[in-house]
Amino acid sequence: MPTDTPPPAAPAPALSRRSFLRNSAVLASGIAAVAASLAPLRELTDITSMEQFLQKHYKELTPADMEQVLARITRDVEKQYQVRPHVADYKPMDGVEFVYCLNLTRCIGCRKCVHACVAENNQSRSPEIQYIRVLKMPHGSLDMEKGDHNYSPASVPEKGFFYMPVQCQQCKNPACVKVCPVKATWQEADGITVIDYDWCIGCRYCEAACPYFARRFNWTKPSIPKDRLNPNMSYLGNRPRRQGVMEKCHFCIQRTRQGRYPACLEVCPAGARKFGNVLDPNSEVAHILRTKRVFIQLKEEVGTSPRFFYYFDV
Amino acid sequence: MNQPTNRILNLLAAGFLCLALGFWFNLFGRPAVPAEVPLVDLAFIATNTARLSAADLIRTGGDTSGLECYACHDKKQPLKLKFDAESNIVLPKEHEDIVMGHGGHKRNNNCFNCHDETNLELLQARDGRQIKLVDSTQLCGSCHGPTYRDWEAGVHGRTSGYWKRELGPIDRKGCTSCHNPHAPAFPGRAPAPAPHALHPAIAQPEKESAHAH
Repeated sequence: MPTDTPPPAAPAPALSRRSFLRNSAVLASGIAAVAASLAPLRELTDITSMEQFLQKHYKELTPADMEQVLARITRDVEKQYQVRPHVADYKPMDGVEFVYCLNLTRCIGCRKCVHACVAENNQSRSPEIQYIRVLKMPHGSLDMEKGDHNYSPASVPEKGFFYMPVQCQQCKNPACVKVCPVKATWQEADGITVIDYDWCIGCRYCEAACPYFARRFNWTKPSIPKDRLNPNMSYLGNRPRRQGVMEKCHFCIQRTRQGRYPACLEVCPAGARKFGNVLDPNSEVAHILRTKRVFIQLKEEVGTSPRFFYYFDV
Repeated sequence: MNQPTNRILNLLAAGFLCLALGFWFNLFGRPAVPAEVPLVDLAFIATNTARLSAADLIRTGGDTSGLECYACHDKKQPLKLKFDAESNIVLPKEHEDIVMGHGGHKRNNNCFNCHDETNLELLQARDGRQIKLVDSTQLCGSCHGPTYRDWEAGVHGRTSGYWKRELGPIDRKGCTSCHNPHAPAFPGRAPAPAPHALHPAIAQPEKESAHAH
C-alpha cells in the first residue's frame, strides 16, 4: 500500500486524487453490478402496446371495438410472422352444446392428435406446449397414478396397456373459472371454456385448480416457425399468445363454431374421437351417450361434470 | 483516509466487480436456455387414412389396373383353389402379397367367402348378393352387424369435414380405408415423439422414484 507517498504538507484535502479514483471505481463497479443483475430485462421484447393495455374486457367490447382489436391482432401477427392471418371472433351457435366422446377401445396411443392440435392451434414448439397428454395405462386399472405419458416404444399399441388422451374436459362446473381473480376465463353458451389472452394476468390459479392438468402457461415467448403458422385464427382460440398468459384446449373454436370437426378428431387414424352437438339427437355423440358403455367423466368425484366422455366399444 | 477505510473500500470494489462478472456470465443459476425442441415430422399431422382402399382408388379415379382380374384370369375357366395338407390355402405367386389373416382358427380361408367366383371383379355376400368393390362396406356389414350399425350411426370409423351438415359435407371413410380386408386387425405404428420437458433434468422423475422404491 502507499508507503512512499510523501505525507501531505497541508491538512489533507477532503477529496484526494487517489481517493477520488478509488471511490469512482467502487461506484462504477457497483453500477455495473446493478446493471448486470437487471440483464434479464434485455430479453423483454414483447412490450404491450398502449392500445392493447387500454383494451376492455371481451364481454364489454362493442362490435366496433372488436373490429379494431381484430385489426390490431392481424397487424401484430403480420409484423411478427410475415403471414397475413384471417382473425375473427366466432360466436356460439344457438341450440348447440358441444360434447366430446373418446373410445378407449380404439385409441392406439400414436399421439397424432397431440401434434395435429399443436399445428392447428399455434402452440409454442420450443419450449413445447401441448394441450393433449396421452397416458399409457395398464389394463385392468383406471388409476391415473399408473399412467405414463413419456412412453416411446417402436410401435404402439403395446400389449397389456390402453391409452387415455387427456385434454381440457370443458366442464359444466369448471374449477378454473371460479378461481380466476380477473374473470379472464369463462364458460360460453356452447359449453366451451375460453380465455381472453389479453385479459389474463398469468397468475396460474386456474392451472392449479384444474384437476385434469389441462391448462398450460407460456413461460417464454412462444416460438412458432413462420411456415407452420395456422393463419385461420380466432380471438378466443388459436391466435398467437403472449409470454405470461395461460392457454388450453378450446375444442378448436375456430373450426367447431364454423361447423367443422376439431383437428384432433380428423387426424385420429383409429377413429377413436367423436365430437358433436349433444342437443341434436341425431348426432354421433348423442348416439354414443345413448347406446355405448360410457364409463366415466374423468374424476367424476370432484364434481366438475366434464363434457368429455370416455367409453368402451366391446 | 486511514488504512482500515482503504482496505474496506478495496474489498468492496473487488466484491462489486466479482458480482458484476458473476451476473454478466450468469454464474448464479439463471436458467440456461433449454435445448431447442426439434419440429415434429409432418407425417404425424397428416390426416391420411391408414391405407388406400380399392373403393377410394376407384372413386378418386386412380390407377385401377391392379383391379382388372381378367387381364390375367380367363373368364370362361372356373377357378380352383389349392389347399395344403393342413387345409391352409396355397396362394399363387401372383397373389403372394396377400396376407390371409381374416378371422381366427383358419375358418375364413376361402377366397370365395367374399369374392364372387363367377365374376372375380365383384364381391359376394353370403346371401348371394353381388356387391361392387366400391360398395365393399356392405359386404363387411353382412357379417359384422353391430360394427356396421355403429358405422352407419357415425360412431365407428373415421370422419372428417362438418359436424353441422347444413354448413358443409361430412366425409365418412369405409371399412377398407383403415382395415386390410385380408388381414383386418388394425396394425401398430410408431408413436409421435413424447413431450419434451422444459427442464430435461427433471424429465422423468416418476421413473426414477419407481426404481428407488
